[in-house]
Amino acid sequence: MKKHIKKGGVLALSAMMATILGTAAPASAKDIVIQMAAPDWSPTRFMQEYADKTYKAPSGNNVTLAIDFIPWPSFYERVAASMASGEKKYQLVVSDSQWIGTFIEGGQFMKLNKYIDADPELQKTLADVHPALTEAYATYPYKSDNIYGFPQMPDTKVAVYREDLFCNEMEQANFKAKYSKTLPCTYEDWETVDWETWGNIGEFFRRSPGDKLGSGTTNEDFYGVAYQAGKGYDFSSMQINAFIWQNGGGIWDESKQPEAQAEGVVNSAAAVKGLEEYLDLLKYAPPAAKTGQMDIFQIQELFMQGKIAAMVNWNAVAAAALDPKNSKVADKTAFALPPGTPGPDGTLVRWDNIGGQPFVLTTWNDDETVKESLDLVKWWLSPETQLEFAKKGSGNAAIKSVMEMPGYNDINPWNKAHVEVLPWQKDVWHIPEFFELLTQQQEEYDKAITGQISAQEALDNIAKFQQELLTEAGRIN
Amino acid sequence: MRGFMDWLMDPKRRGPMLVTPAILLLFVMNIFPLMWSFGLSFFHYKASSMKPPRFAGLYYYEKVLTDPVVWERFQTTALIVSLSVLVQMIIGFALAILFSKKFPMRREILMLILTPMMLSFVAVGVFFKLFYEPTFGLISQAFMVFTGEPLALLATKWGAILGIVIADAWMWTPFVMLLVLAGLVSVPNYLYEAAEIDRASTWERFKTVTFPYVKGLLLLALLFRTIETFKLFDVVYIITAGGPGSSTETIAVYVYRMAFQFFKTSQSSALSYILLFVVIVLTNLYLYFVNRREQEA
Repeated sequence: MKKHIKKGGVLALSAMMATILGTAAPASAKDIVIQMAAPDWSPTRFMQEYADKTYKAPSGNNVTLAIDFIPWPSFYERVAASMASGEKKYQLVVSDSQWIGTFIEGGQFMKLNKYIDADPELQKTLADVHPALTEAYATYPYKSDNIYGFPQMPDTKVAVYREDLFCNEMEQANFKAKYSKTLPCTYEDWETVDWETWGNIGEFFRRSPGDKLGSGTTNEDFYGVAYQAGKGYDFSSMQINAFIWQNGGGIWDESKQPEAQAEGVVNSAAAVKGLEEYLDLLKYAPPAAKTGQMDIFQIQELFMQGKIAAMVNWNAVAAAALDPKNSKVADKTAFALPPGTPGPDGTLVRWDNIGGQPFVLTTWNDDETVKESLDLVKWWLSPETQLEFAKKGSGNAAIKSVMEMPGYNDINPWNKAHVEVLPWQKDVWHIPEFFELLTQQQEEYDKAITGQISAQEALDNIAKFQQELLTEAGRIN
Repeated sequence: MRGFMDWLMDPKRRGPMLVTPAILLLFVMNIFPLMWSFGLSFFHYKASSMKPPRFAGLYYYEKVLTDPVVWERFQTTALIVSLSVLVQMIIGFALAILFSKKFPMRREILMLILTPMMLSFVAVGVFFKLFYEPTFGLISQAFMVFTGEPLALLATKWGAILGIVIADAWMWTPFVMLLVLAGLVSVPNYLYEAAEIDRASTWERFKTVTFPYVKGLLLLALLFRTIETFKLFDVVYIITAGGPGSSTETIAVYVYRMAFQFFKTSQSSALSYILLFVVIVLTNLYLYFVNRREQEA
């Protein structure tokens, strides 16, 4: 961290200015640079630009936020290398929620409870953060009262669809005739879409070159639906978890360790049913699904090329479909709630896996840097900044006071869906064994997606691996 | 100061002084990290943790050598190496014979064929991933013209292996060709003239004149390509990410996961040294065969 104390002339000048202007400038303003590691994309670019323009530290120090923008594909490796090398370069780090266990156990991420307890303003800020975000982004052990982070970019999955097709009268009539259901056109129509209807949509919109499509004719193969089915990183897991949870199944519950078991839970009948449903619907997706490479970027690309009628994707990624420079369907794209599973009372269950990232403080910060960083956190999570983030940064507000503002849902076309699904979010493991659990699970899911094994076999293998690994790590008795 | 400069510029010391920076750089960038990671393989240590290492002896070597996943990855690697090197040797040899003859635009076509070798691994990986993409990829589009169905090449184990072999061969066949070509153009013309006087057939000319000249270079190409393909990482990681399932996950990809995703620093160091040992053994085996053949000749 660069910290420079300017004395002499600067002190005299600031004292004089304070007297003249009647402001409460401190006797000795310091230049403090807070270095933050962050992925290189619009939500963090906005944070930098807006901080440069508006941030004034309440302490009177000259605090600068300096974000080290790291490309997404190498983000984890770069952050992990920095954490492991002991270079102590960053005061703040944007972290995927699942990594926090690794770096908390490693001693790099700072527990913040004592600072929160001593700061009513910070308590107020934290109380305003949506509980689903605090749970996923801040607590370790998961769902405990220990706070480590704050939301930087909250993200959820939404349904993204082609209004020109779904609202086309001929398509609507044909869909009704075939399935005796309404082809969802408005946001309200999508509120009732379950996964079965999603499958119907997938089957209905499968067209070959020369077939009619909307008010025209397609000259290429066209597909109905797509969602994550990718072996890389966490792609298929993020979507499959939704099916497992919505069917009443579960994953290994880290909040109940050491009693919680993996075997019998991960491969329960409900979990198998959820995975089978997920696999069954893949037949309506573009052929990339057969290769296990239908990741979030692939789906996005196919949608923007006008090759898919509807997709379920992270809203942070899906927002690109509105950019006419890159998207053929920019003027036809609409956002809605993702499909759900009918519960016992008939209402749709919408459990899903949260996305997005928190930002955390590192343990090597001295008290003054911690104080300045927490002031920066309060600024980021203030209603003014969060509203501006939603308006100009293509981001999602993390605090309830902004989400509840009249007109908030109209700022971005996905806001309404994002706000509605937030209470339905859960997260995967935050423990240091996260990557091993994820990699093995991704491999097994990939085998199931590519037809090498059944859903039951995949979940049995995952459950066995997790039971052994977590027992060896001392997390299961 | 002047005395020191005179001492330094003494012609006796000039040589050692000139190479010292290079040796220091080599030590700092290569030798020290190698020794350090070798040392870590005998300790309990996780790079993600700020805890100091604890001595573990040969624990991680035993753990790696008894891990069925490691053996599975070795088998996958051996399969990809065998197929990929075989394809490269055959096509590279054929291309070298073709380019040893003179024909119109030979130089321009040769330049084009050499281009893939000069590209980065990442570029080649992304290039082929897009090529194989079943919805809009060029190969799938071409396949659809004939069959009406898209081609999901990477959907099966053997399809994915084929995809990797094609990408690796596309990139490195020119290297084999270049080495063999160097051997072919060095064959003295009088040997062919003598063979012609002896009325030797094309096959006999190849067997008795051409092949002995390129044999050494061919073995060298085999050695280089086997070692390089054994370390194959980028292309596999980008094209298949080791899938479907784990059917194309090479040992290099597994080491990467172990070291940088699971943070099993000691275990990944141990596995890396076992890999290094395998490569050294392979190299020595090649050299042994080359020497034996030369002695026999």
